[in-house]
Amino acid sequence: MAESFPVKPKLRPTSSKLTPTPEAKYWRSFKIPKDIETTPSKSFTFPINSIAFSPTAPHDFVATHSASVSIFSGKTLDPKPPISSFSDTAAAVSFRCDGKLLAAGDLTGTVHVFDAKSRSHLRRLKGHTAAVRLVNYPRAADKLHLFSGGDDSVIKYWDVTTEKCVFNLLGHKDYVRCGDASPISDEMFVSGSYDHRVRVWDVRVSNSGSVLELNHEKPVESVIYLPSGGLIATAGGNFVKIWDVIGGGKLLYSMESHIKTVTALCMGNVARGSGEEEAEGNRILSVALDGYMKVFDYAKLKITHSMRFPEPLLSVGFSPDCSTRVIGTSKGNLYIGRRKAKVESEEVGVANLQWKIVDDEPGRKVLRPSYFRYFQRGQNLKPSEGDYLINRPKKVKMAEFDKLLKKFRHREALVAALNKRNPESVVAVMEELVARRKLVKCVSNLDMEELGLLLAFLQKYSTMPRYAGLLTRLANKVVELRAEDIRSSDQLRNYIRNLKRDVEEEIRIQQSLLEIQGIISPMLMIAARRAYDSKNWTGIAEIEMEE
Amino acid sequence: MFTGGKSFVSSPPAFSNDAKRLLVCTGNTVSVFSTSTGLQTCELEGHEAQVTSVIVVPATNPASKVLCYCWTSSLDGKINYWDFAAPELMRTIDIRFRIHSMVIPSLLCQRTDSTGKLPVPDLYAYISTEDMKQEGKPSSFAIQKCNLTKSRLVCGVTLAETRKPRYVTISPSGKYIGTCEKRKLRIWEIPAKDSEHVGYKKVSLHHTRPITTMAFHPNERVVAAGDVTGRILLWRGVGRETFSNSKSSNGRMNMDREDMPGVRDTDDADSCTTWHWHSSEVNMLFFSSDGAYLYSGGKEGVLVVWQLDTGKKKFLPRIGSPLLYFINSPDPTLSSISCADNQIQLLRMPSMEILRSISGIKLLCSHMDMYEGFGSAVVFNPTAGLIAVPAENYRVQLYSLFDDREISQVQICERNHQPGDEITVKVNLVALSRDGSTMCTVETRLPEEGIGSLVTLKFWACGSQKKQISLSTVIYEPHRDAEISCIAFRPTGNMAVSSSHGGDFKVWVHRHELTPKDETVQRSGWTCHAVGSYKKKPMSTAAFSSDGSVLAVAADKVITLWDPDRNTLLAVIGDSLEPITNLTFVGKSEYLVSASASRGSKISNPQLTVWSMSKLCAAWSYRLDIEAITCSMDDCTFAVLARSKPNGSADKSSKHAEDVILLFNAEKAVPLSVWFVSEAQGGGLSFVSSDEDKVSGTLGTDEVLAYINGAREYVLLNPHSEQDISRQRDFTNLDETDTHGYASVYGELPEFSLKADQTAFPSMPSGKTWKGIFSGPSHALPPLPKLCSDFLESLLERRSGVVE
Repeated sequence: MAESFPVKPKLRPTSSKLTPTPEAKYWRSFKIPKDIETTPSKSFTFPINSIAFSPTAPHDFVATHSASVSIFSGKTLDPKPPISSFSDTAAAVSFRCDGKLLAAGDLTGTVHVFDAKSRSHLRRLKGHTAAVRLVNYPRAADKLHLFSGGDDSVIKYWDVTTEKCVFNLLGHKDYVRCGDASPISDEMFVSGSYDHRVRVWDVRVSNSGSVLELNHEKPVESVIYLPSGGLIATAGGNFVKIWDVIGGGKLLYSMESHIKTVTALCMGNVARGSGEEEAEGNRILSVALDGYMKVFDYAKLKITHSMRFPEPLLSVGFSPDCSTRVIGTSKGNLYIGRRKAKVESEEVGVANLQWKIVDDEPGRKVLRPSYFRYFQRGQNLKPSEGDYLINRPKKVKMAEFDKLLKKFRHREALVAALNKRNPESVVAVMEELVARRKLVKCVSNLDMEELGLLLAFLQKYSTMPRYAGLLTRLANKVVELRAEDIRSSDQLRNYIRNLKRDVEEEIRIQQSLLEIQGIISPMLMIAARRAYDSKNWTGIAEIEMEE
Repeated sequence: MFTGGKSFVSSPPAFSNDAKRLLVCTGNTVSVFSTSTGLQTCELEGHEAQVTSVIVVPATNPASKVLCYCWTSSLDGKINYWDFAAPELMRTIDIRFRIHSMVIPSLLCQRTDSTGKLPVPDLYAYISTEDMKQEGKPSSFAIQKCNLTKSRLVCGVTLAETRKPRYVTISPSGKYIGTCEKRKLRIWEIPAKDSEHVGYKKVSLHHTRPITTMAFHPNERVVAAGDVTGRILLWRGVGRETFSNSKSSNGRMNMDREDMPGVRDTDDADSCTTWHWHSSEVNMLFFSSDGAYLYSGGKEGVLVVWQLDTGKKKFLPRIGSPLLYFINSPDPTLSSISCADNQIQLLRMPSMEILRSISGIKLLCSHMDMYEGFGSAVVFNPTAGLIAVPAENYRVQLYSLFDDREISQVQICERNHQPGDEITVKVNLVALSRDGSTMCTVETRLPEEGIGSLVTLKFWACGSQKKQISLSTVIYEPHRDAEISCIAFRPTGNMAVSSSHGGDFKVWVHRHELTPKDETVQRSGWTCHAVGSYKKKPMSTAAFSSDGSVLAVAADKVITLWDPDRNTLLAVIGDSLEPITNLTFVGKSEYLVSASASRGSKISNPQLTVWSMSKLCAAWSYRLDIEAITCSMDDCTFAVLARSKPNGSADKSSKHAEDVILLFNAEKAVPLSVWFVSEAQGGGLSFVSSDEDKVSGTLGTDEVLAYINGAREYVLLNPHSEQDISRQRDFTNLDETDTHGYASVYGELPEFSLKADQTAFPSMPSGKTWKGIFSGPSHALPPLPKLCSDFLESLLERRSGVVE
């Protein structure tokens, strides 16, 4: 007895990228947690300029938008009451290295310092004559100073406790828009400006200007130190550049995969463990106005993941514990993604213990047939080595239409497939009916309701290129066979009207495609001839014009 | 002469007495197959025409079970008596009539008188004969009686004369014989003491439709018949009046008609019931040996088991081909079904599982040639001696020419096959690459009123030993709606070309995707490399030159030559009168052979032309209707299969071999050798590199010419000398050599070794045969007397020795 084959749809071409790489899986695992729905609190109406994560657990994060700074709990991702004591739009925000203080700049040129927990206003650093777009605390251990840069192209180094500017760093010739403190040294930091320059500063040699000057060749939108402290990444225009600072400012790589201006960079990490792997897992996350977030592996100089968002992206943040990723957009939406935390093992351990106690209770009852567990005994037993396994024959799963086709109930099979609303299987059933010479008969036997179902299907799919070969002809046949029934019912006439509209639309598309083909084909001919003449023949690739 | 590919299903097979062997009529010979392995063990050669029946002499007592004698009858008018264990011809009886069917009732009756003291009575056979009269007159057919002991026909005893050859059916008890004749059955009672002159009582049963087959109940007077509409008629109490000894002739008159429901007119039967499940013609009927069940089968390829008392049915579906015969064996757990696609299935009985199948080359189905462009030709693989045969049930069978044995079958299209239906989906082209690593198939689904036609091109990767064949690439509608006319593989590399009637050809190449890390093949598949067309003319065939540098594509009436790598047109040659159908490069020489023969019914100007590639002009040509061309791989010889008559006027009645195989050297227009053959239409021809182990007589050359005719029988010829190719067939011996004495009961002793004691005893399923005996529902079990001996025997558990 031969096996019986279920009705299967045609194969589709498979692309090699169907199986996601582990890295893509990792980046996709950042999902909006189910317990916090997308409330309006996370969609602010104003652009989100800047995002910063607290360096200490539980890694609260802040986002600036309009004239306020929103603080989110790192544990629950719930928004805490915002700080809104700004007189103009807040533009930059930074946590101190212990996470207790928070500094934010605004467009009036003032830098505000807050207590991160109580949100009380502690200091007000005035000095900039234009909007402050860069505020940063040193990242290593220095709790007393911070630096800021603004549209007045000056970078100021502040002593926070006294609200005094220690010194000004001059050198930029345009707006200073970004900067980052070195992760290894409290005295080093980098700033980027619209004059295309990135400057590396050392406060120990403040009087002699910048230590290093790099030309990014585009207005610099974002600059970050990579964790080693020896490399920096700069973003501006459509590209991200990686420089070796210790090696005298050598350009290592230029990543040009965004198609609009790259607006922000931050460090990410895919290594879930710690130690040596962590360095290998470091990635640069870049977001751009084209709505893409790209993950760049700067060790292999390769983009490992790319993700699209529906809006232009302005800012990005990644929590130091690798659990949360936040992206802010120009329309005020905040995309918060979080990886599922591991199950807390302690609780499980406790539960196991309790079970054990129950199991070890003395005087366990001998199971008797009066008890339902008697019939389940041994079902979960694992086979030991050397046991001869007899597998239960696998049950063949058959779809409803398969069962009906097996019984030669063709019309019912077609209706069953139509009800399933999977176009592939409907077309597969139709093809099988064609092979059995029963499709036309089925169509003529359908009653009004089923005919409506079929017409709705035809209207939806008959212009799709994959199914058009079969379905357009079938649609013709249906109209030809059932003209009277269609005329008598308003609903069916509706379907036919829609179908007609779709077909007309399709014909228009086809015509314009033909026109394009007419334009292209002479060019291809010429190109092919030229290529042949110059003996640089590479073979005509098959040109598959859509019909 | 090395022939093969005979039909296994021309007449019913027979089981030997121990059910370990199956005797199958294969053309002029009877092949003996082992039922445990499905392989051929020996062959009975002696008849000069087709063998029409084989009857194994049944064992009268358990001791004689080992005796292996059989009677065979053939169309050459001879009845032979064989010992098929040896195998040895014991006796020949020549009766000079073509014998279409033979039964020997006395063999079955002998069971009753086991005393053996009496002189053994003469053995009589009833044969359906054909008297070949002089030319022009239709031959007459008759059922006659033949005295096998005295080796002569019994004069004057003619049971019936008919217009057509009849198949004679015998009841399992040997008491009755019968034939179907249009709309009636004729049944004769054979007297218990058969002698030369004895009266026969006969009964006729009538029906309204032509009857196709009949069967007798083993111990009751019940007769079953199947008709062309699929009905099964069951007459009970047949011949109560005629056959019963009491002469109460008035009983019939007194009987009311209502007591005999369903019985027609004056038929002598108690009742007639009709069962109807089959949708078309019933081909076979068979009562189980205890008489409780009736097996029936027909065009649908479903074996139906009817419970005789209740009419309840059980099915064995999806056998895949129309059923022709059902035979049960002395072993109650084994039976066989012969299928129309040249396959014999062995069934384990109460559970009706197919144990194994014995298959010959798939036969052409009768209505396959109804469709134009359904060239279902056989494809040769010259290097491996293989042929690929597309079968009706969407499979391709790979068959070894030298072993005369099926190698494997590949399911091309995953669809349930219903044999009775009109053909709508068909595998119509197969191509094998020269090294045998790739197979390419084309399947076509015909449209229903213009809706839903589909052509699918599939590339298959063949593993080693041709056993595992896996799908590599599927291409839907490779040439839009147009049908593919030809596929050719490049001899040197991973390239293939498909040409279509739609006016273009595509060159396909095999590509690998390598993983960057370890350079292993990640994915591989066939992709389109180039598309070409010449003035939108239909492309009918294509061929690569032996070094693969030139691709020749026939565009209607001209031949276009292309560079396959760069896809540029090199030259256009020829202007024949008819569309070109065949194209072959001759070996490594500079010649190209083309043939134009219209495949349709009309033919006007067939032509065979040899082109010189260096001069790009015709070297010489013949006016021949060519069916197939093949060229040898090395030198510049080629062979053509030419039909002497056009298709339309083919007269079936004349049996003369009028088709011809011609062997040419491409440089000269004089044929080197000529062979006359028959039934060339739909045939194939190929040079095949011979396997020295299997074939002797090919001195010097290593190529033989294989010719397969329209009926899928093949011959291997030696192209270069008159010497015939003889065959050295090494039949595999019966695998299970009988063990005797101690070993037969307890199995072989395991070899004693110290190590064995330390290892754990390997667990393995015990081969308890009674599991097989009792499998299946209880109402379907064989009767107890039959089971009992097997059961008791199986209690003596045979332990198969474990040799470590």
